Amino acid sequence: MARPMGSVRLKKASPVTLAVGAALCIFILYFLIGSSAPDFSASRKATAASHPLSPPTSPFRKTTTGGKLKAPPVAHYNLNDVSTTSQPLENRENILVLTPMARFYPAYWDNLLRLDYPHELITLGFILPKTKEGNEATKELQKKITKTQKYGPEKDRFKSIIILREDMDSPLSSQDESERHKMENQKIRRAAMAKARNSLLFTTLGPSTSWILWLDADVIETPPTIIQDLARHDQAIIAPNCFQRFWNAEKKEMDERPYDFNNWQDSPTALDLAKSMGPDDILLEGYSEMATFRTLMAYLATDDGLLHEEIPLDGVGGAALLVKADVHRDGAMFPPFAFYHLIETEGFAKMAKRLGWQPVGLPNYKVYHYNE
Amino acid sequence: MSLKHTALPISSYQPRGTTPALRRRTQSLVRLGAVAALLFLIVLFYLSRRSGSSALSVFSLGLLSSSGGGYGGDFQLETVRYHDLSSVQGTARGWEREERILVCVPLRDAEEHLPMFFSHLRNLTYPHHLIDLAFLVSDSKDKTLQALTRSMEEIQAWEDEEMHFGEISIIEKDFGQKVNQDVESRHGFEAQASRRKLMARARNWLLTAALRPYHSWVYWRDVDVETAPYTILEDLMRHNKDVIVPNVWRPLPDWLGGEQPYDLNSWQESDTALQLAETLDEDAVIVEGYAEYATYRPHLAYLRDPYGDPDVEMELDGVGGVSILAKARVFRYGVHFPAFSFEKHAETEGFGKMSKRMGFSVIGLPHYTIWHEYEPSVDDIQHMEQMKREQLAQEQAEKEKAEKAQRVKESFGDATKQWEKDKSEIQNIAIQEKKKEAAAAAAAAVAKNKPNAQAAAGKQEEKVVARDELGESKA
Repeated sequence: MARPMGSVRLKKASPVTLAVGAALCIFILYFLIGSSAPDFSASRKATAASHPLSPPTSPFRKTTTGGKLKAPPVAHYNLNDVSTTSQPLENRENILVLTPMARFYPAYWDNLLRLDYPHELITLGFILPKTKEGNEATKELQKKITKTQKYGPEKDRFKSIIILREDMDSPLSSQDESERHKMENQKIRRAAMAKARNSLLFTTLGPSTSWILWLDADVIETPPTIIQDLARHDQAIIAPNCFQRFWNAEKKEMDERPYDFNNWQDSPTALDLAKSMGPDDILLEGYSEMATFRTLMAYLATDDGLLHEEIPLDGVGGAALLVKADVHRDGAMFPPFAFYHLIETEGFAKMAKRLGWQPVGLPNYKVYHYNE
Repeated sequence: MSLKHTALPISSYQPRGTTPALRRRTQSLVRLGAVAALLFLIVLFYLSRRSGSSALSVFSLGLLSSSGGGYGGDFQLETVRYHDLSSVQGTARGWEREERILVCVPLRDAEEHLPMFFSHLRNLTYPHHLIDLAFLVSDSKDKTLQALTRSMEEIQAWEDEEMHFGEISIIEKDFGQKVNQDVESRHGFEAQASRRKLMARARNWLLTAALRPYHSWVYWRDVDVETAPYTILEDLMRHNKDVIVPNVWRPLPDWLGGEQPYDLNSWQESDTALQLAETLDEDAVIVEGYAEYATYRPHLAYLRDPYGDPDVEMELDGVGGVSILAKARVFRYGVHFPAFSFEKHAETEGFGKMSKRMGFSVIGLPHYTIWHEYEPSVDDIQHMEQMKREQLAQEQAEKEKAEKAQRVKESFGDATKQWEKDKSEIQNIAIQEKKKEAAAAAAAAVAKNKPNAQAAAGKQEEKVVARDELGESKA
């Protein structure tokens, strides 16, 4: 249509052309910068996989050719060489931080960024439900990730990040505090939680991973050295104490209170109770209807106690938990069914014990839970 | 998208004989170019200020993309992966929906089996690019690792791209197994529980290192399967079950009946076994196929009908590990091979039990059979040795018999000749005597009765010939 008028238009519209040209230049440049690679150090590039089909605990080389990919290489992994020691930093051991996430708390992410373990050795794994809430959390999480991985300083960037979406329907529509903690809902909720944890764990655990740090999405404050501090104990499974900060109206000041009651030592009462139960019934902690008289680590913290004091545990919570990869590789998982009348993280502790691993807890080493 | 593209229509539609317009256009183009170049330089300068030397590499990567693909210094990294697990559920027609399948193969001193295994692998009809392979080589004293690596690299380098597989992971991990891999110690009852627990650990290590968020299926396969259909993945997948196993038999030498059920770990639970389980202590492991634990369970293996419909399904509680197809979801949700006594079972049988416990379907196909390699058992070996001894003894006996016959023949052979000599001499003498007698008789008969004497002489001759024949057959 515009054909015969071409030259005439050009004559008249030369400033427009200029503008268009300039805009185009800017567009091209924007495109170039937008797709630009973050510059990673040589050591990071050395650990990168050469093909997208690779363990997600490593980044991979983007194909820029646009053509067909080469056949994936034959990759060797010697798991005899993967060490899990009390000095993870010196031995440059890879950490996998796993978080099942229903809501995104910016404070959680900020706390992650504050970890002073080298970020190039940390892989993050998330699993989020496919609900409206989950979609929102995913969006917010992705925003933060892009900010850090693409535009953040190199020391902030993590080795790799995996975001998974759950493949099961959320058993409970509401994530409300009160609804979530109702006893009859607990078994269903925790079974779903166990499946989410297992899905996350077994698809992301890579051949180079030494430690797994389970960190709940609502744990918003940990010491920045938590990885080194917990690994120092050289324990198969180690749980810090999870507290919550709150405004104490009586004292008129900020105070803290125990939050996670799933770290415990067994009691004869609980064992007797278990014996009288049906095969699919579970014992739960923190409900007055079911008094177990277990020794709860949450109440063992003392103001003048040693920070690194250890106690053996029979049940653990998932708020924060450092686990040697060997434990999970041997098969210890989070039972979504009644395993010795225990479920999820508590069942995990029992299964680990059946495999010969002893969980321990640190009553005076604290992490803090979000206060809703 | 580039500058050149938009400039094209302008140069294509030049009006004829309008020089001023052309000049003006040239001017505008020059101006445009100048502005663009200026802008570009500014941005480039800004970039190089911001992030050091990267700006140039950014530029070259964006336009000269080929430099990024090589193994040289410059390439882009992707650090974030996003996977929706609900899109990798596994369906009955996985090959059409591009569902990825992880093939797990535990190996130990398996060098001799590898050529056969790779021929099976190459022949699989499931699209190879959707198959990811994971091998665990543990505690091997032979060259399993080297042979495996060589074979895999050969396949990935083949010209025919359809033969190339997906991700290939060769994982080494030694568990310090003290149990020998020879037939006797492998199948001895005493060693079973600890052996099964170690095998379970090995399987779990393999799975946890190789399972990815993009897998829809997981297939476990032993290397020592001799015969299996090329379409086995599709055949099992079509049933769309959470866990499914074929029947596993093995061929036998003819003296043992020609064939035999091999995998007795695929079974249905029985009340007897459940009662037995209650009496055992926490760490005990029930193993099938041993007289020590009489479970009276229906075994998949014994239900085979060679002419039965291969699609017939049977509910199972325990499964064998020779060939298991499972949805990846089963493993994602936490089912694994218990390396401890789970409901009194370990490894693959415990896997079946745990799958059931978590509500997954566990199915066996009694009339769909694959064949395990025949490795003679201790009894078989003893039996075969016995047979060999008998055979040798028989051969020896035959040889001796032949020798004896030869000796007899030799020692009596001379006699025969002598006999014949003697015989002929005797005959000659006899004949001469007879002739004499005959002559005498004839002389007498001539005198008395001529024809009668001739007949008598003929009879005598016949008798001598008959005796000769007898003597010869005896010798």
